[in-house]
Amino acid sequence: MADTALVAIVDDDESMRESLPRLVHQLGFPVRTFTCAEDFLASDCVSRTRCLILDVAMPGMSGPDLKRELTRRGQTIPIIFITGQADEDLRRQLIADGAVDCLFKPFHAMALLKALNAAMQHSTQEIRR
Amino acid sequence: MVSAGSNGARVLSQAVRPDPHEDGAARPLFDSNLPGLWYQEALLAEVEQVSSTGGFYWNASTDALTCTREVYRILEMDTSATMSMQVLCAHVHQDDLPFVDNMMRRSREHGTDFEVQLRLPLSHQIIKHLQLKGRRQESSDSQLHYLGTLQDVTQRRLSEETLGNIRCELARVARISSLGTMTASIAHEVNQPLSGIMTNASICLEMLGTDAPDLDGARETVLRTIRDCERACEVIARVRALFGKHGGRTESLDLNSVTSEVIALSLCELRRRRVTLRTQLAERLPLVTGDPVQLQQVILNLLLNAAEAMSGIEDRPRNLLIRTETESVDRVRLSVVDSGIGFQPQDAMRLFEAFYTTKSGGMGIGLSVSRSIIESHRGRLWAQSNVEAGATVAFSIPARRLP
Repeated sequence: MADTALVAIVDDDESMRESLPRLVHQLGFPVRTFTCAEDFLASDCVSRTRCLILDVAMPGMSGPDLKRELTRRGQTIPIIFITGQADEDLRRQLIADGAVDCLFKPFHAMALLKALNAAMQHSTQEIRR
Repeated sequence: MVSAGSNGARVLSQAVRPDPHEDGAARPLFDSNLPGLWYQEALLAEVEQVSSTGGFYWNASTDALTCTREVYRILEMDTSATMSMQVLCAHVHQDDLPFVDNMMRRSREHGTDFEVQLRLPLSHQIIKHLQLKGRRQESSDSQLHYLGTLQDVTQRRLSEETLGNIRCELARVARISSLGTMTASIAHEVNQPLSGIMTNASICLEMLGTDAPDLDGARETVLRTIRDCERACEVIARVRALFGKHGGRTESLDLNSVTSEVIALSLCELRRRRVTLRTQLAERLPLVTGDPVQLQQVILNLLLNAAEAMSGIEDRPRNLLIRTETESVDRVRLSVVDSGIGFQPQDAMRLFEAFYTTKSGGMGIGLSVSRSIIESHRGRLWAQSNVEAGATVAFSIPARRLP
C-alpha cells in the first residue's frame, strides 16, 4: 500500500499531532503525521499526498516556507493551513497565495471536513489536468 | 543656656529671644546687635526649625530629659510640660512601642547608642514619622548620659512612599505593555490545547454515534481531552502569575524555575521572530529570595529586548542564550546573550535611563524598570557588548542565606 494517496499533517504541537490524525482518519482519509516540515520533505509521502494539513508557525521551516519549497519542486499539493494565531490578514494572504483554506485553532470538525473535501476536489482537478 | 520652665521642666532654650513669628510682625530674623553667644543661639534655633531636628540631653539613670524648643514643637507639646523619655514614649504609635521600649531598655542597661524610627499619631489622623538618635556621653558620675536628636522625617517618608508607589505603578505599566507584545504568543499557547480538546470531542462524538459505539476508544479520547484541558489551565496559570495584579510578595525561589516559566510563555513569540533559543540552567543553583512576579517581569523584559535587538539581523543566525549560574558562594547570576545589533559604548549608560529607546514601538522603560526591580532585590543589572556580535544583559542577586 506504499503508493496509497493520503492526507499528511505537519504540526509541531503534540496535542494536535495526537488528536488530528485520529479525526482525519475517522472522517475517512488515510493519514500520515510529521513533526516538522523537514521530515515531511525527506519522507516518501510527498508524491502521494493529496492534501497537506500544515501548521503555519513551526521552529525551523515554517508552513509558508514549506509551501514555497514544494512549489519550487513543482509539487502542487492542495494545502489547508492551520494556525493558533487568529490573524485575518494572514488568512487572506495565504488563501490568495493558493491555499485551499486557513483554519484558526481551535476549529470544528465540520470546518475541517469541508476544507478536506474542497482539497480533494482541487486535487482531483489537478490530476485530471 | 538652660532656663527653668514654669513648672520646673527645663528647656534648653533660646527663650530669651521672642519667636519672630509669634506676633506676626515682620522683624529681621537675626538681630546682629545681639551679643555673640545669643546671636549664635538664635541662629541654632532657626537651623533646628529649618532642619526639623530638635536636640536633647537625657540622663538615662534618672530619665530626666532636657529638650530644645524644636523637640516640643515636633511633639506638639507645650514647653512648660514635664519631659522625660517615658513621656515621649507615651506618645509613640503602639505598633512601634515594643521596639522603642526594647531599644531604650538596652540603652539604660548596657549604655548602648540608639537610633530608631518611630511614628507619632497626632490628632486628625495625622501621623508624624520621627527619627530618634542618642549617643552616650562621657560623664564623671556613675550615671548614663545621652546627647540626642529628634528629627521629623515625615516629608521624606511620604516622598519615599510616593516614589515607591510610582515605581510599582510604572512596573505594572511596563508589564501591561509587554502583555500586549505577548498576546499573540499567549493566544497561540492556549489555542493549541483547545484545538486538541475540540478535535478529541469530535472524535468522541463519532465513536459514540454509531450503532456499535467504541466505548474504549471514547474513554481513551476523553482522557486525552482532560490532559489537554490541564495543559490549557497551566498556560492560564502562567499568564496570571506573570501579569496578575499581585506583587510585593517575597518568597524563596528557584531562579531556574522562574526562568522556565517565562520561557514557556515566550517560546511562540521567539519562534515568530525567528529566534533560536538555547538555555544553560545551572544544576543545584542556590535559592534566592524575591518577588516571583517581578523577577519574571525582568527576565521577560530581557528576553523581549534581546529578541527585538535581533529583529533586523538577516546575515547571521538570531541566537539567544539564557544562562543561570552561581556567581560566587552567595550570589546567583542570570545572563541573556543575543546576537543582535548590540550597542555603542557611549550608549552603555543611557540604556538604563527611563524612556531611552532605540525601538520604534518601545516605551523605553523596560530596562530602567528592570534595574530598579533588581536593585530592590539587593542585586545589580548590567549590559555589555559581546566580542563577536550583540549584547549580554545580566543581573546578579544574593542567594538566600541558609538558616
